[in-house]
Order: sequence, then C-alpha cells, then structure tokens
Amino acid sequence: MKAFAFYGVILLPVLGLFSSQNENGTTSKIAPVSVDCVKEKGPAKIVCLAEAFKATLNAEQTAQLQLEYTKSNAAKWSNFPEFRPTRVGIRLGLLNSTQLAAAKALLSVVFSHESEHEGFGEMEGNLAADDFFGQHTNNTKLFSSGNFFIAFLGKPSTTDLWELQYGGHHFAFANTYKGGKIIGATPSFRGVEPSAFEWNGKKIQPLEQEKEAFAALLSELKEEEKTTAKLRFTFNDLLLGPNQDGKFPVEKQGIKAGNLSGTQQKQVKKAIELYVRDLDTETANEFMKKYLAELPDTYVSYAGSGTMNQVSDYIRIDGPSIWIEYSVQPSRNFPGTTHPHSVWRDRKSDYGGN
Amino acid sequence: MRIIRTLFGEIEKLIMVEIKIKHLVLKRSYWLFSMLTAIGTLSALAHPMPNSMVLLNVHEKHISGEIMLPLGELQSAIGMSVNDHSERLVERLGDSLRMYLRQHIRPRSFEGKPWTITLGEMNVIETKNELTGDYKELIVQFEMAPPEHYDLRNFYFDYDVILHQVASHKVLLNVRQDWERGLVKEDTTTQQVGVIEWDIVNGKLNPFQVSLQQGSVWKGFQNMVSLGISHIAEGTDHMLFLLTLLLPAMLTAENKRWGKFAGFKTGLLNLLKIVTAFTIGHSLTLLLGSVQWLHFPSKPIEVLIAVTILVSAFHAFRPLYPKREVFIAGGFGLIHGLAFAETLTNLQLSDKQMILSILGFNVGIELMQLFLILLVFPVLLLLSKTRYYTFVRQAGAIVMMLLALAWMMERIQEKPNFITELIA
Repeated sequence: MKAFAFYGVILLPVLGLFSSQNENGTTSKIAPVSVDCVKEKGPAKIVCLAEAFKATLNAEQTAQLQLEYTKSNAAKWSNFPEFRPTRVGIRLGLLNSTQLAAAKALLSVVFSHESEHEGFGEMEGNLAADDFFGQHTNNTKLFSSGNFFIAFLGKPSTTDLWELQYGGHHFAFANTYKGGKIIGATPSFRGVEPSAFEWNGKKIQPLEQEKEAFAALLSELKEEEKTTAKLRFTFNDLLLGPNQDGKFPVEKQGIKAGNLSGTQQKQVKKAIELYVRDLDTETANEFMKKYLAELPDTYVSYAGSGTMNQVSDYIRIDGPSIWIEYSVQPSRNFPGTTHPHSVWRDRKSDYGGN
Repeated sequence: MRIIRTLFGEIEKLIMVEIKIKHLVLKRSYWLFSMLTAIGTLSALAHPMPNSMVLLNVHEKHISGEIMLPLGELQSAIGMSVNDHSERLVERLGDSLRMYLRQHIRPRSFEGKPWTITLGEMNVIETKNELTGDYKELIVQFEMAPPEHYDLRNFYFDYDVILHQVASHKVLLNVRQDWERGLVKEDTTTQQVGVIEWDIVNGKLNPFQVSLQQGSVWKGFQNMVSLGISHIAEGTDHMLFLLTLLLPAMLTAENKRWGKFAGFKTGLLNLLKIVTAFTIGHSLTLLLGSVQWLHFPSKPIEVLIAVTILVSAFHAFRPLYPKREVFIAGGFGLIHGLAFAETLTNLQLSDKQMILSILGFNVGIELMQLFLILLVFPVLLLLSKTRYYTFVRQAGAIVMMLLALAWMMERIQEKPNFITELIA
C-alpha cells in the first residue's frame, strides 16, 4: 500500500505535465497511466489508480474523498444539480490539474473507449454539457464540470468491500467491488441537457444513440405487439430515480422479449448494450452474459408516442435482473427541445447487492 | 394500509420550502417585501419536478384547504390543453374541472362513511421558480367535513387527482393550520403529513390514511399567547413606535419645547397612562376587527401606522399635543389594533376558538409590551435626568421620523427601499 502511495507522489506530478487541460477542465487528454499500474489488470488496476489519485490529495481533500462504506453514503446520488449538498465525495472543481488528471486516469479505466459518444466519451460529454448549460443559463456556479463528485466508500482494496462513486447533474455511477471483483455496476444514471450540441468544435451527443436504439426497437414492433407493450399510465419522469432504491415492481409489464423475433430481440440487446458497454470491456462482458441469458424473460414496455422524441415518451426494459428506464423531459432552457433522463439498475446487484 | 409518517426523501423537503415561499408571496402583502430578497435565494433550492400540494386547515368540525395542481401535470392527466391554453381557464372549463375534481377527491371515515366535500374558488397562478422555470398552477379552495359524530382527525383521504393517470406524479399533503395543536403561525410554515404516490412495488394507489394528533383548547390558547409575543417582538415598527411614545414621557412641555425632568412619580404615571391608553385602543379594535364588525383593507392601515409613528416621532422632537398624549396614544392604539386583527381574521376559527385567540393574542402583546417597558423605563429614567437627554431624544426622534417616512414610502409603493431593507 505504502509503495503505491510513494510511486503516486513521484509519478503523478510528472503525469500532470503530460495532460493538457483547458480552463473548464472538461476535455483533458487522458494522462498516460503510471508505470506501476500498467502491470495490474481489472479491479486491481482500478485499486492501484484509485490509490494513486488519493496520493495526490492533501489531508483535507483525502478526508472528503475517502469515506466509510455505508448504505446511506451509497444512496447519496442524484440526477439533480447540486443546488444543496446532496452528494458525498470531493468536488472535481477543487482539484488542481495534476489531481484532476489522476482522477480522470482512474475514471478512464472504469469506462470503455470503444465509441466516441459512449463510455468515457459519454461521461466527458455529460461534463461538457454542464459547462455548456452553465454558460447558456449564466449560472456557472451551479452548472459546471467542477460540480461533479467522486468518492471512495470504503478503502480501495482487492480484498474488502468498497465502492467507487461518481456523479453530478444528470450522471451517476456506483461500481461496487469485493474480493477483487466487481459485484455491482448500478444504480447508474444517464441524462444530458442539451441532448446534442457543439463544444470546442466537436459534436457532443451522449445519449442520442440510446434514444435511437429505443425508437428503433419500438418501430420494429408490430401493431398488436405494440398494444401489448403499451403501458396504461403516463410517465413524466423515471419511477426508480434517486432515493427510490429497491422499489422494483413485483409484476413485470409489457411484452416479453422471448416472444419477439430474432431481429426484435437484437434491438433489445443493442439498447441494453448502450448502457452496459459504457463500462470497461471485461466488466461489460460479465454483465451482458447475465442479461443475455435472461433476455427471453425480459419485458419491454412503453408509454407516449413511441418515437422517443416527444415529452412524456417513456420506455422500460425490465428483466429478472436488468432494469432500464428512459424518460423524455421538456427542456426549459432550450425551448422546443427535449432532454432524456434514464437509469440502469439491477434487481439483484444494485450497490453490489448491499 | 400505509404508514402515515412517510419518510420524506430529501427532495420532498425542498418542495416544502418552495411551497412555503409561494404562500408568502400569495398571502402576505407588501410590508413583507423585505422578505422577498430572502425568497429569491430560497427558491434556488427548489426541486425541478412540479408536484401537487394539498394544504389542510383543521378547524373544530371541518377541514378547509387548498389544492395546487401544476397545469403541465394536469394536462398529462386530462388533456383539454389546460396548460397550453390556460387563459381564462376557470371561466371556460370551470364546470368540467369541478366535476373532475369531485370524482377524484373522496374523503371517507375509517368505517367507509363518505365525507361531504365542497369546492370553492379556483384560479390559475404563475409560479416563479428559478430552477424548474416558471410554471402555471391551478389553485382550488375546498372544504370537507365528516358526517356528524365521525372522527375529524382520522380518515381516508382517497385522492387521485392527476395520479389516476400519471404514475410518476406525487402529491404532498401538509397541514397549514390546526388551532388545537397550536399550528397557527404568522409565517406559512406547514407540517408534512405525507406523500400520496403510487406504490411502485405493488403497482397500486392506496387511499391515503390520515391520522392527525389530538390537540387541546389549552394548547391552542398558549400558542396564541406566544403568537402575540412574537408579533410584537418581530414587528420592528410596533417596537419602535412604543419607544417613540415613551421618549418624552418623563419630561414636561414648556413653551412648545420639551423641558426638564418631570419627576419620578409624574414620569412613571405619564408612562403608565400612555401605555394603558394604547392598550385599550388596540384591544378594542383587535376585538372588533377579529370578529369582523370592523374591516378595513390592510394597505391603508399599514400606511396609517407609519403616519402614527411619524407623528409620535415629531412629538418626541417638539411637543405637538402636550398633556393630550393619553388620547393620542389611545387613538393610535385603535389603528394598531386593526393591524393586529388582520392576523386573526383569515383563520376561519369557530366562535370559541376566536374568543380564546383574541384573548391569548392580546395577553401575548401585553406581556411583550410590559417586558419592553421594564427594560426601557430605568434607562429613560436615568438618562432623562442628565443633560445628554435632549440630544438622545432629538436624535432618536429624527431617526424615527426617517424610518417612518421610509415605511410609508414602502407601503404606498409596495416595494422596499434601502432604509427598510437596512433594518429588515
């Protein structure tokens, strides 16, 4: 342990030199991973990078980052902006460039890098969205990439229980580890406002792919299948957002994926992958294996127009384990547009089953 | 059956703040404008999801209340473009809305006996909110009562307005006023009862079970006494008015100027006479105003109060009405009493509760006045014998004149100025 910290102290300031970072701290290039962590793999590498990040912090910052693992700390996430203290952990805005680079190096290995708008790109896109939102609304105090939080619940360890928690406005994830394995990757919130925009000459659209996949899935359904899938009620937001832990409905609603055609099932799989494959390949494979095995018993239901671009459009994927909800919200600050709220949960492994 | 004391999520608490603010804006008028600055900061705490809110006022034999329905959510539930085209909504769709509301608000006793329900005035307001954006709400006044001999405090509030269709909707149920439990305050703090929402796990919407604690007449009375105390303690204008009345009480007037110390006995007697006259005056109008034999709109009364302060301050500077202070104090008392009555008139209390309230409120006011006099009298007594007193009295009088003018401006223009903001 001490050795990691020692290397961290030596290596990370050097890493800081490699990272080029703009003022907003959003589009920093990923610093090369420190030499000692390269040898590690999977959760051990995450522990190594977590310790390296921690080693860059001063005592006061460390106290904010490193907390006890408690259910109550684990449940402290939200999709709302931090308009009053809701989250735990250290604010990214309090980190200097070296520290931020170390934090990003850690997050970088947690997420996938397979697609521009997914995984790490989706996370960075969401940070950029909040900077964009802050500038657009003239409220950079509340809306900025600095207003995102990272916390370690329990000491990062390859033996004991701990959680890597990260989140801010419209984004949250909770990776729970135990015995050197990931035992939970949810609750995981994905949202963004505005849903698509230009930032530093780049197109940012973290959740457009998800929206298109859901719309395609619904358009693949035949009329009578659509009738079966349609929910009686209206949903103006998610049912199982923050503070709604463990409230999964006893009865599943909608149409059973097992009764759908191969092509239709592929669309369900694709939609699920857009959430699960945000995570590093190894972790994602593990979860996908489970979700695909359970796919025949997984239900799809929806409410609203089915196009996923009207306010109050809603879709739910509810399986023996998986739970995904996606809800189309109006956008107050970008009139005429909509923005998504969505959550990926797992009936069995939310918070690692704790 | 659900547990009444639903554990509120953090978010619900925020909405309470928002609602509290909304009511301040709605119910209190201009002299509270200094609070608007505070409101601005608080509304930044609000939650971006518009929920409904039901506020209850528990009376002796019935419950009155107010329902706030965000029009966007209502449109999701019933269509009719209520949010998209909200102009003259009540005028155009009032009857349909009333019919809809009656179908979806069904209070009943635990034994299944339906309560009577009466819908009152409806209107649409714009709710200002920094985070959620401004949204429109339909506000509905209502009254409900159990059949005779059935419990007023324990019943099923079978309510599914909006909820019958919108599964993500939440309804916050709060008590705003409950005289017997001492829930009568000048601000609009409300007490949460619970949240009416879908039971997601079981896919059900259960009738909400209300169980309110029992109160008592003694508790109601005590609360009115402390309300009277805080009314004076928090009302800067009443406090300073009283001080202004007392500034020249120890002196004798000579040739239209304030002269020397009138002596301990005369001074004390003067002071007691002035205070007693003021008390008789405001007690009288408090009584008449509270039972609504006398009613004046609050704006001119608040302006008149500022005038009484101005006149008293001038009198403290140069004697305007020497030897007639007692009558003037009594007259001014009449005006101040009308403002006190304003606090009690809107409570819809039963006769018994109203009489106890007037009594309790007045006792509270007197206690606070007495406390103030006991505090100030020795100081006045000592100071008025010294040669510095002329300076103290004149400076005090000038400051009070300025304040009185500032209050007057504020109350006429209905917006705060820098002086009133300074002392707020």
